[in-house]
Amino acid sequence: MNSETLNTLDSYSKNKYKYGFVTEIDEEKPKKGLNEDIIKFISLKKNEPEWMLKWRLKAFSKWKKMKEPKWANLNFPEIDYQNIYYYSAPKGFEKKPKDLSEVDPKLIETYNKLGIPLEEQKVLAGVAVDVVFDSVSVATTYKGELEKLGIIFCSIGEAIQKHPDLIKKYLGSVIPAGDHSFSALNSAVFTDGSFVYIPEGVKCPMELSTYFRINAENTGQFERTLIIADKGSYVSYLEGCTAPKRDDNQLHAANVELIALENAEIKYSTVQNWYPGDEDGKGGIYNFVTKRGLCAGKNSKISWTQVETGSAITWKYPSCILKGDNSIGEFYSVAITNNFQQADTGTKMTHIGKNTKSKIISKGISLGKSQNTYRGEVSFLRKADKARNYTQCDSLLVGNNCGAHTVPYIDSKNNTAVIEHEASTSKINEDQLYYCRQRGLSHEEAVSLIVNGFCKQVLQELPMEFAVEAQKLVSISLEGSVG
Amino acid sequence: MNIQDNYLKNRKNIFFSLNKDIQIHREKLINIFENDSFDRKNNESLKNINLKNFINFKYKYLISEETSVINNTQENNYSIVSVNGQCSSFKDDKIEITKISDEDYNDFSENNTIEKNDHFVNLNSLFLNSGFKIIIKKNNNIKIKISNIVTDDDLTIFQKNNIICEEGSSLNLIEEYENKNNATSNILNVIKLEKNSQLNHFLIQDNSPNHNLIITSHSSCKKNSTYNQKVYNFSEGYVRNFHYSELIETNSETDLQGIFFLKDDNKSNNKTFVKHLAEDCKSNQVYKGILNDYSKATYFSNTHVDQVAQKTEGYQLSKGILLSDNASYFSKPELKIYADDVKCSHGSTIGPIDENSIFYLRSRGMSKIAATKILISSFINEELSSIDNEQMYEIIQKKLVRYLSKVK
Repeated sequence: MNSETLNTLDSYSKNKYKYGFVTEIDEEKPKKGLNEDIIKFISLKKNEPEWMLKWRLKAFSKWKKMKEPKWANLNFPEIDYQNIYYYSAPKGFEKKPKDLSEVDPKLIETYNKLGIPLEEQKVLAGVAVDVVFDSVSVATTYKGELEKLGIIFCSIGEAIQKHPDLIKKYLGSVIPAGDHSFSALNSAVFTDGSFVYIPEGVKCPMELSTYFRINAENTGQFERTLIIADKGSYVSYLEGCTAPKRDDNQLHAANVELIALENAEIKYSTVQNWYPGDEDGKGGIYNFVTKRGLCAGKNSKISWTQVETGSAITWKYPSCILKGDNSIGEFYSVAITNNFQQADTGTKMTHIGKNTKSKIISKGISLGKSQNTYRGEVSFLRKADKARNYTQCDSLLVGNNCGAHTVPYIDSKNNTAVIEHEASTSKINEDQLYYCRQRGLSHEEAVSLIVNGFCKQVLQELPMEFAVEAQKLVSISLEGSVG
Repeated sequence: MNIQDNYLKNRKNIFFSLNKDIQIHREKLINIFENDSFDRKNNESLKNINLKNFINFKYKYLISEETSVINNTQENNYSIVSVNGQCSSFKDDKIEITKISDEDYNDFSENNTIEKNDHFVNLNSLFLNSGFKIIIKKNNNIKIKISNIVTDDDLTIFQKNNIICEEGSSLNLIEEYENKNNATSNILNVIKLEKNSQLNHFLIQDNSPNHNLIITSHSSCKKNSTYNQKVYNFSEGYVRNFHYSELIETNSETDLQGIFFLKDDNKSNNKTFVKHLAEDCKSNQVYKGILNDYSKATYFSNTHVDQVAQKTEGYQLSKGILLSDNASYFSKPELKIYADDVKCSHGSTIGPIDENSIFYLRSRGMSKIAATKILISSFINEELSSIDNEQMYEIIQKKLVRYLSKVK
């Protein structure tokens, strides 16, 4: 590494988090801590039926007996679950505003700062936004148009009231409450999230999207998202996040469940850019997310795409259970870690049905003093005849204080299944750099170009609306330390 | 019987049980066994293993009346027969063979930095009852063949060997494990390569179904030294091959390769671990397995690159062929990299024999079985053709033919 790189490394590693600001809104909070009373309080506030409360309490009793999973390559101080607020909602939101004019102007301002003006989005090409501001859905747009097609797109709280049958049938069916301690925690205290149901044969005409936003200090966000694609339907769902700058660590444990029935397809894209902590590793979001999709029917398909640039700690394994014959699971991921960030992310593909296929493309980029781990499991069970998997995970190291790790688990119990796995780790190719610089690009531009090329395979999987934002994010994340 | 009682009862048979330092160390090991929850999820050394059999074993060891033989057949050619893990002393101006000493024991237990959580290595240290030390003196080029013989049924052999290649020496070491008795051998090889030395180590394993072989090696390479290891596992009994290698000085290389052939309900656990601790080092880990019937295999490979180990090249490859519906293969190729100027990669495939190739051969008049056999041979051809010792090549060919004759 030459001195120029080191200089730029230095100057950029001081780059501040662009989205660091706090909206001051009165918040209604119960006391800190986790106990049965708080769960009853949440359930009461959300006006939930009795069975839901029972479900939550059952999950809570399971959680009490569980320990956090320890296998990830992460270091963080123990989480004090009693020092966290489990419910916070801006005041006056028990009654939902009918349109945007009734929404607190400060809130709208926050979104404007983030570059997602709601008004404009209404006009912009087909994106219906269900915004989660802390724990209560603020505004839901484009609802009418979706309703015409029979598509249900609402907050999970609303779905519990209006569609109890679907909730009872599917909630917790892919991620059981007792799966591990974070899923149990989420099941006990989840406050909001999205619910999507696409009826039989309907192709959702627009990309559904949610912007999550953590605002209140010390408030863990526990969203629960449930997407059901009925026979022959299609939906593409976007999730994106930015969080204001804070010094206290904030806990986030979301659960996302996808269910694709026969011939259905779900595409789930995430851009995650939460506050990663400052350059000394202070603060930042703890992100423990459980995402799992079930290809329940024949010929179904679930595709995960993620761009992970934020969070102090990322613990996230979007996975697919390929139960139906001929079903397909895909996972595309870019994970960039800088400063003291730690990411342990990957996927799990469980092949149960015949002719099931899965594809994993993972790109990890480590900068500064960060640790970036790919951890993925591919397993073929006995009956997964002719199943097929292809896995590729590449890592790029920039600077010699960071680490890049690859930990795949490959398990085959079927002799007609074929699995291929390859991985490589290297630094940015000097020849490519030289070539770019020769043609007049600055060192920084050249690195940005090469890294964007490195990630292209994944970024091109994102829907148009996201691809642009994601590319910008990649460049911004690099600014931290690449020359 | 628990580990502690087992140890106390048989203490008089166990090496160095009167040495105080070693006693303290062993008490710690006993503590580990008593307090460990044997969490299979987080401990690779436990996967696919029936723990009870290995922990509640009946200890039995005999010093055989047959004595070991050391022959100096040709110049620089030695053949050694080790009986129940013991070998008589020998000394000339090129090599020196002695019993293992308590210093060697301490040296290993203090400097074992790679894996502290391997229960079989701990068992080996605890019940140590045999072993020898070979020193290859400076600037000699030597060939040694060791036949490991177990004389009686139900023996439990806990053997620790030290192999030291002094500066500039070169050693070609062939070890054979061909036993028919119902016994368990737990062998730990501690290998040290000094500056400019080289060791080509071949392990041929072909035990009968009731013989368990647990073999672990720890090698460390100093400047410009090379350690090449090739494992050929034709055993019908359980075999565990765990091989750790440390590259501690610059420009050293290690190459850990293995092929295994499993059938019936046999199991095999394999692991290779390379730790790069210095600049400009190279490593290669290649394992290939063929699994038939109800057999099960695991392969863990691991490349660890320390922050100072710039200019590292580390490669891993794992390939498995499943011949039957009921065979299963688990592989976990792991990279842990803390330096940026490195070239590291791994590849892993598991699958059946390529149908197109079978079709090609069958369309030229071959039966399906013949085609399968040809394709299995070609799958491991690379490993076979790299054997430059003609005698050994023939031995391995024969064993391969024997394995293929059972393939249907």
